[in-house]
Amino acid sequence: MVLLMDRPTETSAFERHVVPELDVLYRTARSLTRNNADAEDLVQETLLRAYRAIDRFDGRYPRAWLLTIMRNANINRVRKKTPDLLDDPDATFERSAEFADHADPEALVVEPVFDAVVEAAFEALPAMFHDVVELVDVNGLAYAEAAEILGIPVGTVMSRLHRARKRIRDHLTTAEVDVDTPSYRARLTKGS
Amino acid sequence: MLKLFKRKPGGLSCGEVMEVLQSYLDGEIDAETAGKVTSHLDLCVDCDLEAGVYDRIRSSLATRTEPVDAGVLRSLESFSERLMNGEIDTNGVDND
Ligand SMILES: [Zn+2]
Repeated sequence: MVLLMDRPTETSAFERHVVPELDVLYRTARSLTRNNADAEDLVQETLLRAYRAIDRFDGRYPRAWLLTIMRNANINRVRKKTPDLLDDPDATFERSAEFADHADPEALVVEPVFDAVVEAAFEALPAMFHDVVELVDVNGLAYAEAAEILGIPVGTVMSRLHRARKRIRDHLTTAEVDVDTPSYRARLTKGS
Repeated sequence: MLKLFKRKPGGLSCGEVMEVLQSYLDGEIDAETAGKVTSHLDLCVDCDLEAGVYDRIRSSLATRTEPVDAGVLRSLESFSERLMNGEIDTNGVDND
């Protein structure tokens, strides 16, 4: 095993900034590719590009930096795979999301408990909204990080996310399953 | 419920709270506004209940996270390790 201290600066910068993000990178890649093998390839390509660029990286916001790299790597990947979709990278992202095998029909007929309604409403969201919710709520990215990977302004992430959650919320009202939800302050005291 | 007169608990109206509620729950607003929202929620049952529903939606979605397979993570770690050891040709444009 090579000792950390023997390593050149790029290597230790890579170890410090990049390696701790592997988990987030893989989750995000999984959202982008909808496929475990492609996700792993995409992370490897991202790591390769990050390694090549690490000496020019200022050390600030490594996750945002890595997500930008991943976005570009993914645009390349999608172009190679489907040359007919080359002009609009966002359209291809949304297109690939539409192909996903979500929306399990079983989920729609289970009893209308809170989580089941949320799941059905989430799966029914148009791809543009679905992607933002998946990145922020499911994968835990911050607004700015989701903006980075989608290549859209933070304000757009925010408005799509909020509108998406509002739709989910409206589904709950229609299904009348939100009535027994404790208040936020009560949830906080119960949770901690 | 019909509001017969304007109230501004915490210095914000209910409408203003609804505007920023989701950002508040996500921790994406400034500390000053967050403080006002917190005091509003302490005093306004309607908004507190609404915040409860949104917070529960967020937790419900968060439970959908599939854990990253330990094997995949190990293989990505070893890929990183090989990169750092110079065992991978970094000049290749692609890995396929
Ligand atoms: Zn209120």
